[in-house]
Amino acid sequence: MTLAAPDRRRLPRLPVGGRFAQAILVLVVAYLVFRFGIQPPMPFSLLSLYMAITLLAMLVYVSSDSESWRAFRAPIWETLVDPRRRPVRLGFAVLLPLLVGYYAYSQAAAKAEAPVELRAVHPAPPTSIPLRGSTIDLEATDTPVRKDIAANPANRAKHLAAGGAIYIQNCVFCHGDNLDGKGHFAHGFNPTPADFTDPGTIAQLSEGYLFWRIAKGGPGLPKESTPWNSAMPSWEDRLNAEQIWQVIYYLYETTGYPPRVMRGGEHAALPGPPATVLPALFARGVAGVAPPAAEAQGDLALGKQVYEKRCALCHGGAGKGDGPAAERLLPKPRDFTAGKYKIRSTASGQLPTDQDLLNVVAKGMPGTSMPAWDKALSEAERRAVVAHLKTFAEGFKGAKPEPVKLPGEVASSDSSIKRGREMFEAIECNKCHGPAGRGDPAPGSDLKDDWGHPVRPANLHKPWTFRGGPERKDVATRLATGLMGSPMPTFADSVEKPEDLWHLANYIRSLGPDRLSWATVLPVRAAAGEVPSDPNAEFWPKQPGANFPLVGQVIVDPRNFNPTIDMITVRAVHTPDEVVFHLTWDDPTPSDPTTGAPKPDMVALQFPAGGEGGERPYFLMGDGGHPVSLLTWRAGAGVGEATAAGIGKLTPQSGAAVQAKGQAVYEAGQYRVVIRRARKTSAAGDFVFPAEEFFPIAFWVWDGSEGDEGAKASISSWYYVRLEAPPSKRQFVIPPIAALGTVVLELGLLRWAQRRRGPAA
Amino acid sequence: MRMSVIASVLIVALVAAAALFGWNAPAGAQGGGTIVGEVKVTGTPPAPKTVKVNKDNEVCGNEKKIVDVAVGPGNGLGDAVVAVTDAKGPKPAKKPALDQKGCEFHPPLLVMAPGEVDILNSDGVLHNIHTLSTVNPAINKAQPKFKKVMTEKLEKPEAVKVRCDVHTWMQGAIYVTENAAALTDQKGSFKIDNVPAGKHKVEVWHPILGKQTKDVEVKAGQEAKVSFELAAKK
Repeated sequence: MTLAAPDRRRLPRLPVGGRFAQAILVLVVAYLVFRFGIQPPMPFSLLSLYMAITLLAMLVYVSSDSESWRAFRAPIWETLVDPRRRPVRLGFAVLLPLLVGYYAYSQAAAKAEAPVELRAVHPAPPTSIPLRGSTIDLEATDTPVRKDIAANPANRAKHLAAGGAIYIQNCVFCHGDNLDGKGHFAHGFNPTPADFTDPGTIAQLSEGYLFWRIAKGGPGLPKESTPWNSAMPSWEDRLNAEQIWQVIYYLYETTGYPPRVMRGGEHAALPGPPATVLPALFARGVAGVAPPAAEAQGDLALGKQVYEKRCALCHGGAGKGDGPAAERLLPKPRDFTAGKYKIRSTASGQLPTDQDLLNVVAKGMPGTSMPAWDKALSEAERRAVVAHLKTFAEGFKGAKPEPVKLPGEVASSDSSIKRGREMFEAIECNKCHGPAGRGDPAPGSDLKDDWGHPVRPANLHKPWTFRGGPERKDVATRLATGLMGSPMPTFADSVEKPEDLWHLANYIRSLGPDRLSWATVLPVRAAAGEVPSDPNAEFWPKQPGANFPLVGQVIVDPRNFNPTIDMITVRAVHTPDEVVFHLTWDDPTPSDPTTGAPKPDMVALQFPAGGEGGERPYFLMGDGGHPVSLLTWRAGAGVGEATAAGIGKLTPQSGAAVQAKGQAVYEAGQYRVVIRRARKTSAAGDFVFPAEEFFPIAFWVWDGSEGDEGAKASISSWYYVRLEAPPSKRQFVIPPIAALGTVVLELGLLRWAQRRRGPAA
Repeated sequence: MRMSVIASVLIVALVAAAALFGWNAPAGAQGGGTIVGEVKVTGTPPAPKTVKVNKDNEVCGNEKKIVDVAVGPGNGLGDAVVAVTDAKGPKPAKKPALDQKGCEFHPPLLVMAPGEVDILNSDGVLHNIHTLSTVNPAINKAQPKFKKVMTEKLEKPEAVKVRCDVHTWMQGAIYVTENAAALTDQKGSFKIDNVPAGKHKVEVWHPILGKQTKDVEVKAGQEAKVSFELAAKK
């Protein structure tokens, strides 16, 4: 009895295997499954709903009989009343109010997020569509191209080559070289372009469906499900029916997926033996298996096969850089026959090492149309294709290129950056890269590569576009080895001390970040007091800037396949009467007609005409039924306003209707422009800026010196903008109140529990 | 084919013998002849252009007259190189040099023997020497203002264009040869001395108008005449 007494008084062990722990385990597992087990990730609202249901079900289960309920309740009750649990109680008493306070803070200080748009992924297509005066039956089992190939198998190669050429000249910009929706313009679109290699896209669709989407594009989507955000243009004016069927054939042949057929408005598998996507998924792996002996060298036969399928459309069958895509690309695809490679670890004048070539194939060349092939091609395939590349230039025979030895690495520091800057000036990097390094040589510099193609010097403020990578070592290596075939020379022996290469690399890397996060929302903050019109006023750098990607307009003539302007940074504030935008973009050459330039530089902010609500106009300046309203600035003419009903159909306002004002400066390769306008004007059709409500905005920039004008421009898709409420102190007021409330509740609960226990004890 | 093999073996033997006996004079210098002649332009050569200088005006000036094809009196072609393709020239007395002065290449066409060449920067601004070589490793080397001399190697015979990407109007050329060669003067005339007697092939090269080859027979102590006409492509 006396022995047992201390045992009874011992603190009861927390029931790890008990009811309560089980319940917690169920909740945690359910959360993990909902959060990470389902792809794509579900929105937070849905997740909370599922978790609430799980919690409810769990409570129902544990309270199904009183025994179970008691077992569940016991640990909670113990924590509330047992004197031995005092430290745990104290812990909860402190932790809970803190958690509640933090949650309240994160909610009160929430940043603007674009509204979620829900839509059917695959809208129902029509059964037939008109195209250039004839009717196309979208439910036909066999396309004209497939019929022709069935009748005459020799024509397969012809159709495939034609489809490939159409794809590489028109579709590659968005949908990408390896058909994965990651073309070099893809980042400029929201939603992102379709990934054809995904088993959820064309593998689930019929060729007729694809024909409809290609021919009619975003503007042809059913009106009842608007707003669509599809940037897919309508191609019916540019491609004829046969060309569209050919490119569709190319898509299915290249991805390896069989198309489905339309039956009664539903996508069904092809009749005959059951079609499966598995061969497509595994075909790559099988093709990539090379005998181990050949793998080290790279299997030439495999390399040729991969090259012809994946590389020849840009680099040409004979490696001369003259594939069908070449005419529309800048920088041009490399001519492998010269053996001059830009991105090397070897000395100037030397061939690259195998590893140099493998790196470029795997990682691609940022800022160009050369994609990363590390996901589309296996390691063996990449080695094989490198072996094939080397057959194009004589010099590789028996050559053993060796990497150069860089001087000992110098870590980045203020003094190193300072020395780098001095060297930058001493060796006159500005002659090509501009005084501030924005890739703006003196106008008329006319830089050309060894083949006579125009070359744009790198903008050193944008390391994410550096062809050979943004790391300090990459930059130092480029300085040491030069970029063969381009104007960029080697500086290996042309600096004062060898380690200056590192100082230069450190300085260059101090100019810009590795990568940029692109904005989807432009928050317009409420400003107190005067907002300056001077773009260089100290006021502006203090405002947070939103970076929006810009890409070329490639559907309407004249098309802009190689835009010089690739992004715009926007700062915006509002007062009770006005909205003021501050725009920054890099342009290598100022172009102002009043000083003799043929075409002006220009920028425009695009809004749906007439204000909020209704159907959103097509992102390329709308159409007849849905016009857009534009705030513009034009070199030599200043700030203006315009309306447009379709790309190029721009009607500038004049006289008193123009109420927007502003100023611009151009300095060292960069424009900074302020455009301000009353939130509501007296002019009919002018956009009215609503308060605290999301509305669409899109951007246009024209580089006059590159011949940009009208449709030839850098464009963006629609983004959201919102005039925020004046800054409140609520994120500092609400959390303490919430925390205090929690403390009061806790005390109340404890008091109640202790009192209930009192009589029982 | 066999003849040429025998010929080259003979030449090699001769050169080896010459080297062995420390005989530095070019083969056949004694008892050799001279080749003289003219190079003319036919058709309409591109007219000289005037380019506005967009940088470094203090050393480059404000305008540059670009003469792609230097046409002299009687349509003579200046600044072309004429070389005997099968007879060695004299050993150069000093290392050749290509100067960048006033943002121009001096000489505009450098004839040099395979080996080293000094690249001079007399301007005190950044230049880059950029050769469009295909036979020798291509050179593209920065020459900042503090780098007055750089020594480069062109070890194989090659006719190569040279440019500066900083000042894109700067277009030059280097003709690398171990053979007897001469530049044409303003009137398009040239003279190659000490050519061994016998039948030879003579080549003219101009960076814009390209090249042409002719046969000529040289007699000891005499002047052999050969004339070229290069067509200006429109």
